[in-house]
Amino acid sequence: MAMFSQNPLLNGASYSFSEAPKFNAPEGAREHRFDPYTDNGGSTLAIAGADFTIMAGDTRLTSGYSINSRFHPKVFKIGGTTSDQSDATLVLSVVGFAADGEALKERLDAICKMYRYRHGKPMSVKACAQRLSTILYQKRFFPYYAYAILGGLDEEGKGAVYSYDPVGSYEREQCRAGGAAASLIMPFLDNQVNFKNQFIPGSGEGHALQERERHPLSRQEVETLVKDAFDGAVERHIEVGDGLQMMIITKEGIEEVVLPLKRD
Amino acid sequence: MSSPFSINGGACVAMVGKDCVAIACDLRLGLQALTVSNNFPKIFQYGDNVFLGLTGLATDVATVSDLFRYKVNMYRLREERQIAPRTFSNLVSSSLYERRFGPWFVSPVVAGLDPKTGQPFICGFDSIGCIDFAKDFIVSGTATEQLFGMCESLWEPDLGPDQLFETISQSLLNAVDRDALSGWGAHVYIIEKDKVTKRLLKGRQD
Amino acid sequence: MEVLLGITGKDFTLIAASKAAMRGATILKASDDKTRQLNKHTLMAYSGEAGDTVQFADYIQANAQLYSMRNETDLSPSALAHFVRGELATSLRSRNPYNVNLLLGGVDPITHKSSLYWLDYLASLAPVPYAAHGYAQYYCLSILDKHHHPDITLGQGIKLLTLCTDELKRRLPIDFKGMTVKAVTKDGVVDIQFDDDKVVKAA
Repeated sequence: MAMFSQNPLLNGASYSFSEAPKFNAPEGAREHRFDPYTDNGGSTLAIAGADFTIMAGDTRLTSGYSINSRFHPKVFKIGGTTSDQSDATLVLSVVGFAADGEALKERLDAICKMYRYRHGKPMSVKACAQRLSTILYQKRFFPYYAYAILGGLDEEGKGAVYSYDPVGSYEREQCRAGGAAASLIMPFLDNQVNFKNQFIPGSGEGHALQERERHPLSRQEVETLVKDAFDGAVERHIEVGDGLQMMIITKEGIEEVVLPLKRD
Repeated sequence: MSSPFSINGGACVAMVGKDCVAIACDLRLGLQALTVSNNFPKIFQYGDNVFLGLTGLATDVATVSDLFRYKVNMYRLREERQIAPRTFSNLVSSSLYERRFGPWFVSPVVAGLDPKTGQPFICGFDSIGCIDFAKDFIVSGTATEQLFGMCESLWEPDLGPDQLFETISQSLLNAVDRDALSGWGAHVYIIEKDKVTKRLLKGRQD
Repeated sequence: MEVLLGITGKDFTLIAASKAAMRGATILKASDDKTRQLNKHTLMAYSGEAGDTVQFADYIQANAQLYSMRNETDLSPSALAHFVRGELATSLRSRNPYNVNLLLGGVDPITHKSSLYWLDYLASLAPVPYAAHGYAQYYCLSILDKHHHPDITLGQGIKLLTLCTDELKRRLPIDFKGMTVKAVTKDGVVDIQFDDDKVVKAA
C-alpha cells in the first residue's frame, strides 16, 4: 500500500535493509527485509494541442525531505535512431521512483529503436502506447513504480497524450498531470483545457445551461498554462521545484525548453 | 479512510478580495463512499460579517458550530456589541486548544471584514487551534490538495466582488469534481462592507 | 440486518422498521416494534446495539413527554431532532457511548410541513427527504433517488415503500420478518397496515 501513497512521511526516506524486531524469535534468527521502492517526488504534465503536444516535468529529485538533485530530467525523447535522439518522434515522461522510471525509459527506448531498425519507420504513438502498457503489465507483481505519460502526434498529425498507472492501465486523453502534485494540477487542467464548469453566460438555468464549447488551445496558450500550473504546484508542494523542462512535439520535430522554477 | 477527518467528506475555501472577502463550501454529507445528504452546508454566520466554515467529522461540525453560536451570543450579551472576526478567531483558537488531548475533528476557516476599518480578514486553523493567518486564501477539507492547486493558479490580489465570486466558485467547483468525498453543490458567500450575497451553486450532482 | 426506512411527502412522513429482533444470527422475535412516539406529531425509529437502543429511545421519549407536560406544548420535530443530537453527541465522547442509529420523522403542528431527520451513532444529523439506515441504505436510496418527489401523497408513499421492501426481500440474505409501518400526519401518528406476507422471488 505504501508504494501508492504519496506521503513521504509515511513512506520513510529511502529504501532500506531493515531489521525486524528480535524479540520472540529463536536465538540468532534474524529476519531481513529489503524494501526496493522510494518515492522521488516531482510532477509531470502533458497537454495535447491540434497539431502539437507539450510534455513537461519539473527537474527536482527528492528523497524524504532532502533534495538530491536540482536538475534531474523526467521527460525523455524516445525512439530516435541515435543516442542523441535528434530524430525522435515520441516523448515519455516518468515520475515516481526515479530508478524504475529510468529503467522503463531505457527499455521502451530500446524497443522503439529496434522497431525503427526492423520496419524502417518510427513507431506510431498508438503502437508505442500499447507496447508500453504491455511492458508495465508484464511486471504486474513487481511493478515499475512509475507514473508514465507518453506523448506524440497521431496518424492524422493531431496531438496525442497517453497516461498510465504503474501496472499498465492506460487511456488517451487531452491532458494529464502526474506525480506528487497531480492532485493540485489536474483540476486546473479540467478547468482551463477542457473548460469544465464553464458555461455560456445567459444560456439558461439548470439542465438548460450550455457548456462552453471546447476547442484546441494554441501553442502559446498551452505553454502559459503549463508554466502557471507548475508555479502553483511549486508554491504548495515541497517536492516540486528548481527547473521546468518542456518538450514541444510538432511535425517539424521536438523542441526542448528549460525554464527556471522557484528553488526554495 | 478511517481518519475522522475523511469519514463524512467536504470542502471549504475562503478568499480575500479588494474590500471584500468570500467563503464557500460544498454540500455533501457522506458515510465513506455512500452519500447520505446533498444539503449539508458547512458555513455558519456569527455576526453581520463574521463567517465560519467547518469541515471534518459531521457530528463535530454540528457540535462546534452550535458551541460557537452559544459563545458568540454570550459575548454579544456581555459586550453589547457584535464580535469582530479577529476576536472570533482567537475565541475559536482557544476553544479548540481547550480540547488539546481529545480534539474536535474539524478544520475551521474564518472569513469576515473588520467592523471598524472594513479590512478583509481570513484565517484557518488546525483541529487544536493553531491559527494560519493568510493574505490570500485558506482551504480545508478532503479536497485541500485540489483547492490549493486551483486557488494558487486562479487567485490574484485586489479582485472585486464579482470577480472574486467567479474565482472562488471556479476554484471550489473544479476542486471538488476531482475529490470523490466532496461536491454535490455549493454555497458561496460574498461579504462586502454592508452587503452579504449568498449564492447556491448546483455543480455536478455525482 | 435491521432495516429502518423513512419517506416524506406533501403532508406526511412515513417511518418503517423491520419486525425482526435479532441476536447474532438468531431471530428472537418476529413482531418487534422499533419505533417510539415522542409527542403527537413526532415519531422516532431506532436500530443499533441491543441494550442501547431501547434504553436511549425510552430516555428520549420520557424527556420529550416531560417537556410537553411542563410547557403544555409539544416540541417541533426540528427541535426534538436537535435535542436528540445533543444527547447522542454528549454520549459519543463519554466513557460508554450509545450505539444507536435513528430516524426521526414528523409533521410540524403549526406549519403542517413534513420533515425527516437522519441521525447516526456519531450524532451526525441531516434533514433529508427520504432516508435509510444499515444495509437498507445501499438497496433503497437509489430507488428513492429515482422515484421520490417532495409532493407525493400518502398512497404514493406507501407504494414507494413497497418498492423498497420488495427489493430488500429480494436481495437481503436474512429474512427481516416484515415491517412495522407508521405515518405521521397533521392528525398524529397512524399505524399503516402493510402486507408482510407478500413473497418476492429473487431473479
